[in-house]
Amino acid sequence: MWDFFWRRLTGLIVVMALVATLVFFLTRLAPGDPAALMLGDQASAADIAALRAVYGLDQPLLVQFGLWLKEILKGNLGQSIFLQRPVTQALLERAEPTFFLALFSVLIAALIGIPAGIVSAVWRGRLVDQIVSALAMLSANIPSFWLGLLFIQFFAVKWHLFPVAGYGDPGAPLLERLRHLVLPATVLGLVNSALITRFTRASMLDILSEDFIRTARSKGLAEGVVVWRHAFGNALIPVITVVGLTAALLVGGAIVTETVFGLPGIGNLVVSAVLRRDYPVIQGALIVVAAIYVLINLAVDLIYAWVDPRVRAQ
Amino acid sequence: MEILVKRRHLLAATGLAALSTVMSPLKAEAQTSANLAMIGEPQSLDPMASTADLVSLIMQHVYEPLYTFDAQWGVKPMLAADMPKMSADGKTYAIEIRKGVKLHNGRELDAEDVVASLKRWLEMTPRGKSLSKSITSLSAKGTHSIEIVLSDVQPALLAHLALPSGFAGIMAKESIATPLVEFIGTGPYKFRERKPDQYVVLVKFDGYAARSEAASGYAGKREAKIDELRFIPVPNANTRVEGILAGQYHFADQLPVEANKKVSGSGNASGVLTMPYGFPYFPTNTKQGPMMDLKIRQAFQMALNQEEILLAGFGDPKFFSLAAEHFPKGSPFFSDAGKDKYSKGDAAGAKKLLADAKYDGTPIRILNSKQYDFHHRMALVMAEQLKAAGFAVTLDVVDWATLVQRRADPAAWDIYITHSAFLPEPMLSPPQLGDGAPGWWKTPAKDAALAAFNAEPDAAKRGQLWGKVQQVVYDEVPYIRAGNFAALSGLSNQMKGYAPMPWPSFWNVSLSK
Repeated sequence: MWDFFWRRLTGLIVVMALVATLVFFLTRLAPGDPAALMLGDQASAADIAALRAVYGLDQPLLVQFGLWLKEILKGNLGQSIFLQRPVTQALLERAEPTFFLALFSVLIAALIGIPAGIVSAVWRGRLVDQIVSALAMLSANIPSFWLGLLFIQFFAVKWHLFPVAGYGDPGAPLLERLRHLVLPATVLGLVNSALITRFTRASMLDILSEDFIRTARSKGLAEGVVVWRHAFGNALIPVITVVGLTAALLVGGAIVTETVFGLPGIGNLVVSAVLRRDYPVIQGALIVVAAIYVLINLAVDLIYAWVDPRVRAQ
Repeated sequence: MEILVKRRHLLAATGLAALSTVMSPLKAEAQTSANLAMIGEPQSLDPMASTADLVSLIMQHVYEPLYTFDAQWGVKPMLAADMPKMSADGKTYAIEIRKGVKLHNGRELDAEDVVASLKRWLEMTPRGKSLSKSITSLSAKGTHSIEIVLSDVQPALLAHLALPSGFAGIMAKESIATPLVEFIGTGPYKFRERKPDQYVVLVKFDGYAARSEAASGYAGKREAKIDELRFIPVPNANTRVEGILAGQYHFADQLPVEANKKVSGSGNASGVLTMPYGFPYFPTNTKQGPMMDLKIRQAFQMALNQEEILLAGFGDPKFFSLAAEHFPKGSPFFSDAGKDKYSKGDAAGAKKLLADAKYDGTPIRILNSKQYDFHHRMALVMAEQLKAAGFAVTLDVVDWATLVQRRADPAAWDIYITHSAFLPEPMLSPPQLGDGAPGWWKTPAKDAALAAFNAEPDAAKRGQLWGKVQQVVYDEVPYIRAGNFAALSGLSNQMKGYAPMPWPSFWNVSLSK
């Protein structure tokens, strides 16, 4: 098990080094100048050059890369050009809405997707299977921004049940802040439930056709016990994979949903930083998001090993 | 089973952590709070560190200038007691500061604060830097008066001091630092809190010393009638629309014009037009490429039908107006010089000019950005009009950050699409009237017209001289001004007393229950 863990951890370090290099150079390859954007129309070329020097943007690219890597290794993600604060602080300020949004969205997606997939597999070919499959197809193809606007129109504007956007007034307590996540989390939960439904259904269908299930049924076990204990337990691995990947994607920031609902999350931060060419924020945020993504994948791998002795044995 | 027990422990711990945060004491609520949906996050809260309108819009509630504009764009005193006493040669300004004005830290404003703030403004802002070349001295003369001595006449000095963009706001001298960490001004609101991408909160300043004159534009009496202003960044325009309809916002800035009917028909909010809010304009590259040729620039001007272009940009004539004049009737700078060259839409005439210029068919690159949707829509129609006149055209569609970088490179474009807020003084915008701005317009006719205009201290004579500058702009086509456009804002029915101006302000505005 430890061997497995260390192998994965070494892979993680290599992936992170590649991500850091790619993120830095891809960010800098895009045209645009943060200094010119900051100073506006009336700035002279000399003003822009002076501001570029303040942020070290006048240095050769490789020198900038070296300095940035040095700081990264010290745990310093740099200073935002636009927000005038450390990137780490900017990320921490936005971590809460993104974390809770990801958590609730994955919970909603799993709570809809797993039971729907099981029901669909158990009653394969029946009306309920067709309805579940059709709904899964529909939710997989609905754009999240459109569903978001529809939810806002009905649940916020028409029925005043939830706020339209934002993350609460200044000083709002946690419950009030979380109320602002109900609509976006439901939108993301619904959209992401489709994939979980389909994976659960497919995995359950495979398992339900196995010999050991037939044996269990022939022993006279109740159908509930067969499905829940023998089939679902063994069908879990692909489901864990897809739930893990969904969580990893959402922790990186649900960019479109955060924008539509005006949530001050990490996705919103990255989009704003790209538009402003705030290089330290783009680089810092992508490094952290990549690290979280890789760590969640590592956690998923470890869960495999935990739930399936065959993986441990390998 | 063991797994389940562990999961329960984890859930219980998470629940307890959440509960402890939920039970934390709530902050005291202000009596009245206005939620104001802005188009994004301000670049900074330092009004001298950025020329962005959003920064000025927010911080004009905290900082006040010596002079400001009234509803007719006349310059009026704000922190200055009166209009300045000028020497006969127009080079020395003696300015009295109002007495009894309190800063947000409780101390009384004095001439040292004003001098320190203006020196910072001259060092930091693009307009200040440009003006500083003409300033011989800036000094305090006693506790409540200052003196500005110029090396040459600067008729636009007071307009520069009044303009909210790249703002010459007066701050407490002890708070001055770069970057600013304390925001201590004299305005009717003081800074309380900023959470990037969530809100900037300003609260009523109880010690505010208001002027006695009736309110007009940004001038006259200012009163904080709402206890707390929350400027909330809402970059998605549809979300701003839905937020004002749902009653979550009391004011929503810069709504899409298509939303006007929906907002005004909702019964709980109305659409408010600010006209003129700004003007789209199209600089030409006079330094490199085909547009270096005056005849080709004139062909470009002759080919354009501004009505079609503005219609594409703004959809409904309610939201734009055709205007050959660069300043509206009533302004001292109103002139119809060059009117005969505006919005001709004459493809045949343009073709003839192109033939005279021996245009070789080199594609004209129109640099534009979809980040401002109306820019791109105008570019599409412009391209068709130019093609009809015999131009070869390519549309270079990029994001705004790329456009800002590329326009500084004379090899990268021929025409670009941009816009400016309406500004009451000619030398404030567009930057092509100055030196070195993208387009690099520099000719003897320009220099002569602007030198005469900028050397004339008499306001009435300046008006006539502006007509000559406007004529040179039409003759030499360094940029084409499309016309004027309006901004649409959403206003909750609860909000009373709001007067539309290009930088929305919320003093003298109240909220009904």
